[in-house]
Amino acid sequence: MSVNQAVSSPKAARSPLVAALLSLVIPGLGQAWQGHLARGGGVFAVVVSALATTIWYGHATWYIIPAALWLWNVWDCLRMPAGAPAWAAAILWLSMAYGIGWQVTEINLLALAQNGERAASILRPMMRPDFITKRQNRTQYSVRVQVPCSTNPPRAQATINGVTITASPDCVTVGENILVTARGLQPNFPTEVTWVTPTGGVIMLGENNAKMLTLNSDEQGNLTVMFTVPTGIQASEEFVQDYRIALTQVETLPGYEISPNGRYILQGIYETLALALLATALGAVLALPISFLAARNLMGGNPLTYSIYVLARTFLNIFRSIEALILAIIFVIIVGLGPFPGMLALTVHTTAALGKLYSEVIEGIDPGPIEAVRATGANWAQIVRFAVIPQIVPSFTALTIYRWDINVRSSTTIGFVGGGGIGFFLWQWILLGDYRAVSASFITIAVVVIIMDFFSAQLRAQLH
Amino acid sequence: MLRIENLTKVYPTGTVALKDVSFQVEDGEFLVVIGLSGSGKSTLLRCINRLIEPTSGRILWDDIDITAANAQQLRLIRRQIGMVFQQFNLVKRSKVITNVLSGRLGYANPWASLLGIWSHEDRQRAMQALERVGIADKANNRADALSGGQQQRVGIARALMQEPRLILADEPVASLDPVLAHSILQYLEALNRTDGVTVICSLHFLDLVHRYATRVVALKDGVKVFEGLPKEIDRARFKEIYGEEAEEVRATAVEVG
Repeated sequence: MSVNQAVSSPKAARSPLVAALLSLVIPGLGQAWQGHLARGGGVFAVVVSALATTIWYGHATWYIIPAALWLWNVWDCLRMPAGAPAWAAAILWLSMAYGIGWQVTEINLLALAQNGERAASILRPMMRPDFITKRQNRTQYSVRVQVPCSTNPPRAQATINGVTITASPDCVTVGENILVTARGLQPNFPTEVTWVTPTGGVIMLGENNAKMLTLNSDEQGNLTVMFTVPTGIQASEEFVQDYRIALTQVETLPGYEISPNGRYILQGIYETLALALLATALGAVLALPISFLAARNLMGGNPLTYSIYVLARTFLNIFRSIEALILAIIFVIIVGLGPFPGMLALTVHTTAALGKLYSEVIEGIDPGPIEAVRATGANWAQIVRFAVIPQIVPSFTALTIYRWDINVRSSTTIGFVGGGGIGFFLWQWILLGDYRAVSASFITIAVVVIIMDFFSAQLRAQLH
Repeated sequence: MLRIENLTKVYPTGTVALKDVSFQVEDGEFLVVIGLSGSGKSTLLRCINRLIEPTSGRILWDDIDITAANAQQLRLIRRQIGMVFQQFNLVKRSKVITNVLSGRLGYANPWASLLGIWSHEDRQRAMQALERVGIADKANNRADALSGGQQQRVGIARALMQEPRLILADEPVASLDPVLAHSILQYLEALNRTDGVTVICSLHFLDLVHRYATRVVALKDGVKVFEGLPKEIDRARFKEIYGEEAEEVRATAVEVG
């Protein structure tokens, strides 16, 4: 400090007024002229960056900030060598950055409350997660119908387990009406009527084909229904295909079972855990050799090993900076949908992330034992085996477990782009608007993550 | 006989740790190196087995030029030079016996040793070394479960595994309770007297120097300022080595048998 003052004191004698005028022309110039080069540069950067930001944003009101900063800069010159309080400039600059940032991000807190209706339509089904359901006994009866008519269509009548269904006419074209009568159904019972394509696709017959058509059978177990053959199902004028009309009676039994969606969730979470485990194990194995090459204390010895170190570090940094999700999109394109591309993406990301963390563990080890083992005449491999590995095993294990934890969580999002696992199902349900299944998935993921977190914390605690 | 000739070490930072240091150590000597912290004692010891590469000068050991040895020769030289450290430098999480066995790495089959396979002789030798320093019962404990004094004894046992002709001891008692200093130094003294191992040891406390050294070399700012017998270090010499403001502190008030 004393040296600085000694150097700058003759310059500080320069007139503050002239300096202020200089700063009025170019911010920071006056400070520089007075000998405070760093301060001059800083003031210039602050004023110019504020000006550039407001010009870019283009809203007139915000020009007040660079103007105020410009004045502050003149004031700063007048008050040299003490200068104007820096916090004043900091508050001005930050209020501009934050204010413009707020507007650029289009923050609209009201939007959170305005769409209560929409929120309720999502939250209400989410209160009833679709994981278990009452046990049901589904009985289905169906009859074949030709679309369009061949020259000699068969009769559209079928009898299954005492239930006879008849469709009239025997064959139809799209848009025609068809009459269905059934006898021998369970009486007074809700019955779903659906139109089944040759490939097994189910088309609902309610309003706009978006709702299930459900009718009650009468006291004798008879049911009569007339509907229009849904449009857009006919392959061609000439090509005759067998469609089916299906009647389904769903009987509710006592007790509960896992719903069909619940089974998908279990399958999905199992896939997720498996792909996270495989990706972690494979990633750890790949990261191990790389981490030794990326450890400065082992590789800093001579120019050759140092350049390998730089290469390994660069490789790890590049791959670590690419989100696993992005990698998954690329691998889905290469190998197709399913858990496999998800696993590949996670493996690459895990290799890079663990490689970096491992190498940092290696760099942080106590150099004493290395020195001691080297002094016994041991070679490089022996030094690594006896002085390095025993020091790093606990941290490596803890990091790997922690990584598995992370991978389970990130593999749920990887499913969103087709990388398999529960995320894949979750994404479908969000698109279909099946929020009961969505909330069941959320709960399952949360439970699994909490359990994993608990056990990995326990395991890591044991290692030290 | 070990001959240090014009040894100089300049670190990449520009620090001159050793400046033109020359002296000789006869076989069977207990040479003590003294000097303030930062005077170059540790650098000197590490230059002898080239844990630190000297900038210039030569180190000759029975006419073998250590400074000119290639990597393979250097390992063969190092395995005959035991080393004991101020911070013990044990692998804390490994067992005591593993730490001791690591002293044998220079002799062991490289592939077997990587798998952790040791010959029966080596294991016996390790147990004998531990018995010699009085902690055979701790063989299967983790190294960090031992007290400081016990850890340094493991360090000595590790050096014993090398069947050393020379032991470099870098402030072996500086991290220990002063009352333990004699117990550690007596093991080194016994090696020196009964096995004829040459010992080069850096020390802080003058009373320990008087008690154990057969000869003394003093360093100040990397320059050798004294070489002679311990009894020649009088008050004037002491001030010369440690500076005007220094006062002598005794390691222990009680001499241990």
